Amino acid sequence: MSDSKAIGARATRTSKVEHTAGDPPEAETVLSVRHIQTEFVTRGTVVRAVRDVSFDVKRAQKVGIVGESGSGKSALALSILGLIEPPGRVTGGSVWLNGREVPLRDDRRMGRVRGREIGLVFQDPMTALDPVQSIGDQVAEGIRRHQRRISRKAVRRMAVQLLQDVEIPMADHRLDDYPHQYSGGMRQRIMIAIALANSPDVLIADEPTTALDVITQAQIMDLLERLVAEHHTAVILITHNLGLVAEFCDVVQVMYAGRLVERSGVDDIFDGATHPYTEALLRSVPRSDHLESGPLPSISGAPPNLAALPRGCAFEPRCPIGHGREVCIQEQPMPILLGPPGAEMRVECHFASERYERARAEGETR
Amino acid sequence: MIRFMGVKLASGLAAIFGASILAFIFLRIVPGNPARLILGPLATQQAIDAQITTMGLREPIYAQYLNYMGGFLRGNWGFSYSAGQPVTTQVANRLPATVELALYAFLFAFIAAVVLAVLSTYRRRAIIDGTVRGLAIIGLSMPPFWFGILVLMLFFSYFGILPGPEGRLSPTTAAPDAVTHLYTVDALLHGQFATFLDAVWHLILPAITLGLAPFAFLVRLLRANLLDVSHEAFIVVVRSKGIGRLWAFARHALPNAFLPTLTAAGLILAQLLSGSVLVEKVFNWPGIGALVSDSIVRQDYAVVQAFILLSAFCFVVVNIIVDLLYHVIDPRVRVS
Repeated sequence: MSDSKAIGARATRTSKVEHTAGDPPEAETVLSVRHIQTEFVTRGTVVRAVRDVSFDVKRAQKVGIVGESGSGKSALALSILGLIEPPGRVTGGSVWLNGREVPLRDDRRMGRVRGREIGLVFQDPMTALDPVQSIGDQVAEGIRRHQRRISRKAVRRMAVQLLQDVEIPMADHRLDDYPHQYSGGMRQRIMIAIALANSPDVLIADEPTTALDVITQAQIMDLLERLVAEHHTAVILITHNLGLVAEFCDVVQVMYAGRLVERSGVDDIFDGATHPYTEALLRSVPRSDHLESGPLPSISGAPPNLAALPRGCAFEPRCPIGHGREVCIQEQPMPILLGPPGAEMRVECHFASERYERARAEGETR
Repeated sequence: MIRFMGVKLASGLAAIFGASILAFIFLRIVPGNPARLILGPLATQQAIDAQITTMGLREPIYAQYLNYMGGFLRGNWGFSYSAGQPVTTQVANRLPATVELALYAFLFAFIAAVVLAVLSTYRRRAIIDGTVRGLAIIGLSMPPFWFGILVLMLFFSYFGILPGPEGRLSPTTAAPDAVTHLYTVDALLHGQFATFLDAVWHLILPAITLGLAPFAFLVRLLRANLLDVSHEAFIVVVRSKGIGRLWAFARHALPNAFLPTLTAAGLILAQLLSGSVLVEKVFNWPGIGALVSDSIVRQDYAVVQAFILLSAFCFVVVNIIVDLLYHVIDPRVRVS
């Protein structure tokens, strides 16, 4: 009896999140990633950067992808865009945009998708712009690529408008300036303008604020939030800043050793993570509302070697729950769907259901 | 911009001034008596003393320098005793051959370097890349005069498809009327296609021989730069806009990779324009390099001095042009 009440409460909360995030109440899926596998081959060793990753993104939904360095976040982003360069290769899986499969392995046809349906904001604004081309040309390049029949003047007007949208002062003057004449924060605004030039349905932001100071970070995230709300753009935010995810995203996905180990609504995950790795990750971040004495906990051990992955769960050697357990050593855990329908909770752990039930029971008694 | 040019010009003039002083003093310290060389071993001591006086060699060295530079600026570059001609005449006869050869050698080196660097980096095929790197190593380590003899043996003696070491034209071909003194250009200006083809035919082997080392140097530089640039984040960003591989490479990677090689290319051009003794000797090319080496042997001061000044001038001019080019194509250097 009390169980069903809890599920009901949870369900209403999830649907509320969706309602504020998207314009149509029943949000449709814009991006589906299915079983993506990406490998890098160097001198005979195969580094498996992305392993069988699947997820959906709904219109105007904001999905955060977190994980430590080398967990495959950026490789996943580039795989979705079909921009993995040799020696890397997407060896399996598919990507679907608005119900159509994306030609991942056909670079020429992929060019019609990139920039028009998916945009990319890159990590480091200092190196993400061509130093010898004017900002105007670099913004216009993307517009002209996908909207062929418009005049030079119209393209320029659009570029000015885009720069105004990202709040660059005196945009029509500064269009002919070069990247070195802008500050880091301004360049990241330009990057956002470039990514949104053709109003894509999905924007992948790969650590968009890592290289910026805290004040500029906040400004950039506010700007991004406003723009994606205006354009109804779905965002995949790749970061290792959990605070950013808590503020900005609707859904969190945690990556470990190339796999998506947990996906949950942002409230659920910060209330209590189900995967032991997520739990450890969250505990290792200082939080003002969870002040505990003593040193900040860290995850012992090192991330696994992606060229020599264990047979079972990649987190097993470092896992406080599963370390040494036969099933964890021998078997790769499969994703388990948890929570009420539509809760978007999906965890790859042999003990996921058990842990989820226990956590919920504890929540009840509290 | 004007101030920048002023500074460049002033430093260029200082370089030429330094070169002129060095050349002047050095050639006066070198042992040997020019008067004896001019008058021959049978001349009397009196005649030699008189000759030294008329040559102005008894004056203090700074006065000699000022006399010389004054004359140089007025177009009097001295008199070549070994040839019995004014130096200006000699240089005017020899310089066009060197300039024409240098330009074609540079053109070959530059175009071949760009094409091969692009080929070896664009698709990143190990076979092409390995071949290009091998060619570069060979080009850098092969002595040009020996390579010249080798290609002559192969293409002239053995296959007989290219002319031998007979200079700029076949003996039966008349030189075109002089406009620029560059035979290929003059022949085209007068519509003499047979002469043009003959001149090009004679240029192929010497130009490749002279341009081989510069080509090898440039291809290595450009290849390394291209590899660096194609890993830059902005290339990924350009591609994420939907721009194709080729366009991203041509429009973004190449210009960025090209910029740092410009200085090197300028220096190479200046060096080529100063002539090459060995390559000119091998191909019997009537250029300035051969003239200077002969003049050094004969202790013909006036020619050597004029040559040193001329090549200093050449380096300065080419460098100023390179600086100007940077202003045009690299916005980061541009002074607002």
